[in-house]
Amino acid sequence: MTAIRNAFNGFVGRHGMGAAIFIGAAVFFWVIFLIVLPQLAMLDYSFRHNLPRADVGGPQDVYTIANYSYFLLGNDSTLQTTDLAVLGKTMLAAVFVTLIDIALCYPIAFILAHSATGVATRLMVIGLIVPFWVNEILRAFAFRVLFGATGVINGFGQSMGLWDVPIDFIRADVALYSGLTYAYILLMVFPIYNAVEALDRNQIEAARDMGASWWRVHWRVVLPVAKPGIASGATMVFMLTAGALAAPQILGGPSSLWFTQLIYQWFNQSANWQRGSAYAVILLVVCIGFVMLLMRVFKVNIGAIGR
Amino acid sequence: MSKANGAGAGTISYSLFFFAFLFGPLIIMVVTAFNSSSFPRITPWECFTTDWFGVLVGNSRLMGGLGTSVIIGIGVVALAVPIGLAGALALSELSPRLRATLYTVLITPILIPGVVLGISTIVFWGLVGRAFGEDYASAFYNGLFLTLIGQVTFISAYAMLIFSARLQRFDPTLTEAALDLGATPGQCFRKILLPFLKPAIGSAAFLTLLASFENYNTTVFTILSDSTFTTALASKVRLGTDPSLSALAVIIIGLTLMGAMVHEAHTRRQSLLRSGKPKISPLYANPVTRVMTHPAGLAVILIGIAAALIYGGSQHDSSVCQANILAEKRAVQEQLLKEQRERIRKQREDATPTAPANGGATNNPSPFGGAFKPGGLSPNKETAPANPSPFGGAFKPGGLAPKPEAAPAPAPANPSPFGGAFKPNALKPDSN
Repeated sequence: MTAIRNAFNGFVGRHGMGAAIFIGAAVFFWVIFLIVLPQLAMLDYSFRHNLPRADVGGPQDVYTIANYSYFLLGNDSTLQTTDLAVLGKTMLAAVFVTLIDIALCYPIAFILAHSATGVATRLMVIGLIVPFWVNEILRAFAFRVLFGATGVINGFGQSMGLWDVPIDFIRADVALYSGLTYAYILLMVFPIYNAVEALDRNQIEAARDMGASWWRVHWRVVLPVAKPGIASGATMVFMLTAGALAAPQILGGPSSLWFTQLIYQWFNQSANWQRGSAYAVILLVVCIGFVMLLMRVFKVNIGAIGR
Repeated sequence: MSKANGAGAGTISYSLFFFAFLFGPLIIMVVTAFNSSSFPRITPWECFTTDWFGVLVGNSRLMGGLGTSVIIGIGVVALAVPIGLAGALALSELSPRLRATLYTVLITPILIPGVVLGISTIVFWGLVGRAFGEDYASAFYNGLFLTLIGQVTFISAYAMLIFSARLQRFDPTLTEAALDLGATPGQCFRKILLPFLKPAIGSAAFLTLLASFENYNTTVFTILSDSTFTTALASKVRLGTDPSLSALAVIIIGLTLMGAMVHEAHTRRQSLLRSGKPKISPLYANPVTRVMTHPAGLAVILIGIAAALIYGGSQHDSSVCQANILAEKRAVQEQLLKEQRERIRKQREDATPTAPANGGATNNPSPFGGAFKPGGLSPNKETAPANPSPFGGAFKPGGLAPKPEAAPAPAPANPSPFGGAFKPNALKPDSN
C-alpha cells in the first residue's frame, strides 16, 4: 500500500496532479474492473447451479462442483473421456502448431535481422505485416478455398492426375493446422527478430572463422540469444492457438472439436453458462499451467513476453 | 550469411518459400472473387465476373454489422488508447519490483484466451447489473456495451506495448530541463511528454481500431444477440461459402495495399526532409514526380485508380458468357444422361441382379458412382420422391455441394470419377 502511495506521489511530482489522477484512475479501473473482478466473477459463477432467473439468490443457489465433476465424470459418475480427449487434443495440436511456427519463423527472423539489406528488409517487413491486416475470418476462409473438396489444391491435383478422388483435407485437419500456423506467424517472427537483432554480427563471424559449421553457429551462438524471443513468441502462439475459436469453427472437420468449441456450445447451444464458465476456467488453468511449466523448464521469465 | 557478401541462394529460396506461403492463399482467394463459379475456386474457370461485389454489398446482415463494428471501434479507441497510455506511464516510473508485478497483470489479458475474456465480461457485468436490480433492457445486458468493455480489456494492453516502446526512447533530461526553467509538472506533461508520444498515439489508435474490428473470440460471446461485421462474416463462412467473401477480401487487401503505399511514401518523404536532400533530389526537381511522391498526391492517384477500376468493373457484363457455360453444361448432362440410359438398358438386358440392388451402397461399382443413384439406376425408387431429376441429389443446387465440408455430406466419400466434376453449380446458374 505504501509502495503504491509513494508511486502516486512520484507521479504528482513529475507530471502534476491532473496527470497523476488520470494515470492512477485509469490503471485502477483497468486492473480491478476489467481484469481481476471479471475473472473472479467467472470463477465464482462456475461453482453455481444453472438455475432459472427467479431462483437466483434463493435457497437453491448454493455452491457446487457439479460443473467440474461433469467434465471428468459426465452425467452418470463414470469416467468420461470425450471432453478430456478434446482438451488433450487441443493442447497437443497447439504445441504442434507452435513448433511448426518456430521452425518456420526462426530462419526468416534471422534472415531479416542479419542477411537482408536496405530495401529488401523494408519490403519484407511490409510483406510480413500486410497479410495480417486481412480479417482473421477471411484468412481462414482462404484456407478453405485452398483445401476444400472442390478447392484449388484438389482441383490442381486432379487435373494433373496426381490423385483422382478429392482428398478430404478438412477432415484430416490439414486445413486447420495450416490455417492456425498461418494465423499467428507474425506473433512469432517479431519477438525472435527483436532478440536476434541484438546479436553482434562479429560473434557469428568469429565462430565461422574458428571453423564452426553453420548449424553449430546457430546452435551455440544465435539460438541462446534468440531464446527469450522464441519463448515469448511461443507463449503467445500457444495461448492464442489453444484459445482459437474462429479457425476451428471454419476449418475444423465435422468430427473434430476444439476445446473452445465445447465452451461455445455450452454457452450458445445449451444455454448453460455456469458449465461454460467451468470449462473456460479449466482451459485457462491448463493453458497457464502448461506455459508456466515450460517457462520453468526453459528458464524464461514472464517479463520477456510482449517485448 | 554476411551483409557484405549478399544473400546466399538458400536464404533467397527460403525467403521466397516463406512469402509464397504468406501470400499464396490470399492471391488465390483474390482470384476466385472474379470467377462466376458459385463455389470459390480457380479451376474450372468459368467466366470473368464482377457480380460477387454486388452480392456482397447486397448482404444486409454484413452491412448492418459494419455499422455496429464502426461504433464499437470508435468507442474502443477512445477508451483503450488513454488506458494503455496510463498503463505505460505507470510502468515506466514504478519501482522495479512493483513494475514486474504490474507488467504481469497488465500483459495477461493478451495471453488469456479471448473466449475466457468474453465469458468473464458478460458474467461479471451481469452480476453487477443484478446487484443494481437492473433488468435485461439495461446497459449491463447490452451487446454493444459488453463488447466495448470486453475488447478494451485486452486491446488496452496492445496500446500499452506501443507506448512502452516509445517511452523507452524518451530522454528524461528534457523534463528536468523544463522543470529547472520553471515549468510546472503539468506543463511538462502536456508540452513535452505528450508531444513526444504523438506518433505513438497515432499508431496505437490505428492498431486498436484494427484489433477491435477484427476481434472474433471475445466479441462472439459479448455481442449477445447483436452482430458485428466479424461475427456476421464468421456465421456466413460457417453456413456456406460463396465468392462474395473473396470479393470482400479483394476490397480489404486493396485498401491495405493503398494504406501501405501511402504510409511508405510518407516515411520516405519524412526521411528525405530530415536529411535535407529534397533540394538535390531529382524527384523534387520535376513537379510531376514531386506531386506523385507526396503522400497526399499518391493517395489521390490511388483513389482515382480504384474509382476507375470500380466503374469499369460495374460496367462489365458476364451474363452472355455465363449463359454459354450453362448451355455447355446442359449439353454435357444430356450426353451423360443418354449414355447412362444406354448403359441401364444394356444392364437390364443382361439382367445382372446387382445393378438395381446396390442403389444405396457407397462402393458403387458403376463408373458413375453415387452421382446417378436415386433416379438414374432405379427411376421409380421411393427414396427420392421429391426429386424428379434423373440425376438425383447430385445436381440439386446445394444438395451435395456448396459447402461439402460443413455437413458430413457424401461428397468426400464419393468414389465416382464424376463425383467432383458436377457438384456445386452444374445446374445452378449464378442467379444474380
